Amino acid sequence: MSISKYLKGFAAGLLGLAMLSLPANLSAKEIKIGVIYDYTGPLAAGGSSLHALGAKIMIDYFNSIGGVEGYKINAIYADAQSKPEIAINEAVRLIEQEKVDMLMGFYSSAQCVPVSAKVDAMKKFMWITTCISPAVLKGRNLENVFRIQPHGGMFGTTSPDFVAHYAKKKLGIDPSKLKVAIIHEDGPYGSGVAGGNEAGSKKHGFKIVLKEGYAATSPDLSSLVTKLKRKRPDVIFHTGYNPDITLFLRQSRELGLRWKALIGHGAGYGVPDKLYEAFGNDANYIYNVDPVSIWLIDPKTLTSGLGKITEMVGKEYKLAQPDVKTFSAHVGMAASNVYTFFDDVLPRAIKKYGGISAEALRKASSDTDIPVGGTLMGYGVKFQPKGADMAGQNERAFPVVVQYIDGKAKIAWPTPLQTVDPVLPLPKSSPYAK
Amino acid sequence: MDEIFDIFLLEALINGILFGGVLALLSLGLNLIFGVVDVVWICYAELVMFGMYTMYWLAGVYDVPILLAAVAAIGLVAILGLLVHVLIIAPILGSPPINQLLATGGLLFFLQSAATLMFSIEFRNLGLRLPILEFNEMYFSYARLLAFGVALVGMAAVYLFLTRTYIGAAIRAISQDREVMVLMGVDSKKVYWVTALVGGGLAGLAACLLVLQYDVHPFVGISFGPITFIICVLGGLGNMIGGFVAAFILSIIISVGGLYSEMEWGYVLAFVFFIVMMFIRPQGLLGKK
Repeated sequence: MSISKYLKGFAAGLLGLAMLSLPANLSAKEIKIGVIYDYTGPLAAGGSSLHALGAKIMIDYFNSIGGVEGYKINAIYADAQSKPEIAINEAVRLIEQEKVDMLMGFYSSAQCVPVSAKVDAMKKFMWITTCISPAVLKGRNLENVFRIQPHGGMFGTTSPDFVAHYAKKKLGIDPSKLKVAIIHEDGPYGSGVAGGNEAGSKKHGFKIVLKEGYAATSPDLSSLVTKLKRKRPDVIFHTGYNPDITLFLRQSRELGLRWKALIGHGAGYGVPDKLYEAFGNDANYIYNVDPVSIWLIDPKTLTSGLGKITEMVGKEYKLAQPDVKTFSAHVGMAASNVYTFFDDVLPRAIKKYGGISAEALRKASSDTDIPVGGTLMGYGVKFQPKGADMAGQNERAFPVVVQYIDGKAKIAWPTPLQTVDPVLPLPKSSPYAK
Repeated sequence: MDEIFDIFLLEALINGILFGGVLALLSLGLNLIFGVVDVVWICYAELVMFGMYTMYWLAGVYDVPILLAAVAAIGLVAILGLLVHVLIIAPILGSPPINQLLATGGLLFFLQSAATLMFSIEFRNLGLRLPILEFNEMYFSYARLLAFGVALVGMAAVYLFLTRTYIGAAIRAISQDREVMVLMGVDSKKVYWVTALVGGGLAGLAACLLVLQYDVHPFVGISFGPITFIICVLGGLGNMIGGFVAAFILSIIISVGGLYSEMEWGYVLAFVFFIVMMFIRPQGLLGKK
């Protein structure tokens, strides 16, 4: 064979390869998403890893059905290690080096506050699934950051609304004479919710006998417990992560703190398995404010087809964690918030605004108008517009109050969603009963 | 006056003292090691974490009797302490202090990551609910009383070990002058090994008591490591009695300060006290110049 024949063969081969690769490239459209949660560090077991699981279940699901509008989802998972500085570094690395199209996730408000400002300044799109501090969006007019979750202020005002409704009826105390204490971890998350607790308590005329923050890593909360004993609150509003929540409950029991109701606000209070593991039936009748668990929603009240998605999430959750006894609301929360993005926002960005640029995603998010019943968690989605006090915040989201009874979470508030008549005050059988 | 001298003040004071017992126990081993080997084990609280996991798995999962599990935990962490010395500390004994700090700091992250891989990120606990001790409307933690008692006994035992045994005398001699004692025929290697074993064992002992009060997770050391180190510095690095005294002073300031102001202010006051003392007595409360 002459050299020219070799060359011709080589050229034909190259041409063939090029032709083969051309349609392949055209069909392999992808959206590259940086997914940031805490996979290690104290926040991981405090709930972040459960959110990460919910997000991954949903990303895998959409990839399994062929992606979104021809786009495969290429998720790059990053660990914020429960540290704000790592979260910032990872966000920048994903944007600058991995060239992701957008960021998604974020459990800790202490991370969300700086990361959201940074990402917005870099003109990238950020879809928050979890962190709730009002400080993330309030008064900042961020253009490319959207949060589907209810914010901490909503969490904080929901519990006083619930208590005010039942104060006279079940506690026999007029709201103006009801003594409440507000305790919280001192980061943006705890402070944001506590601010809502305070505003809600003032609205209903409660007597706030104590409002105090503490470091979530504090090795001792005994002086806080002693102070609470001195102030004798009827109801305690608590916002914490873990292990501060278990430390507080343990020291409260040991030091004889008593209450008529203890109401937690997400994070560690959203993982009932852990509460029951540590405290057995002493964890009974604790309340928790969180977006409603997708497994507590009657599928008939949701848009057709969403019930099957909830079933799928539960199945995958069980496969990932076979030992789970009570499905944590955390997994469903992230799954729902991710589902809405892939099911509603992303298709609109691609079809109506021509792609997956930050601008297209921003416009598509701004157009979102999902009525009640249109998400796995039941609430609707409509983001506050640019220039609003909390631009990018879903104004249709709302949390509920659940009560743990014999290891099961029951919806205690609001009344239209109730699955249990709330047990109030705490029964005398509890070591915490006043 | 009633407001100041109320029963809650007394309760806070006693709880402060009991918390001091926990901190004193933690600082005991770290001080012993520093006093003899002259290297600060930044990773000391992570050794405690491994002891807590040992207790959890043996007593909590495999239902080994708790005292037997405690003996196993103390033994295992003692061996871990010895391994840390032999594998990490011994090769860098002659290095500048900053290198030694970096090495033990690196070990801290290694141990946290190893625990994450081995035990996952889950918070775990024994699920024990100890009886509540009530006295005249005041309540005290049984686990803390136990920790306090054990800290006192541990302190006495270490003191007797150092003053009444031959190896204890050698340890004290080495801690006073490393070079000369070697020239006088003391086997410094053996002394270091025994010190690491005893220091590790004390970390294991602390772990047995902490696991009664706290959840165990790979990052539990974050809550205790810094304050243990501060106590050792305040008492005089290497001075065990100084560390013991410092633990109680700081814990009482934190507890009572936290009762009369915001809890965070209790810590602020404690750290202000620490900083002021560092100006007045940079060698520590009972340290020698």
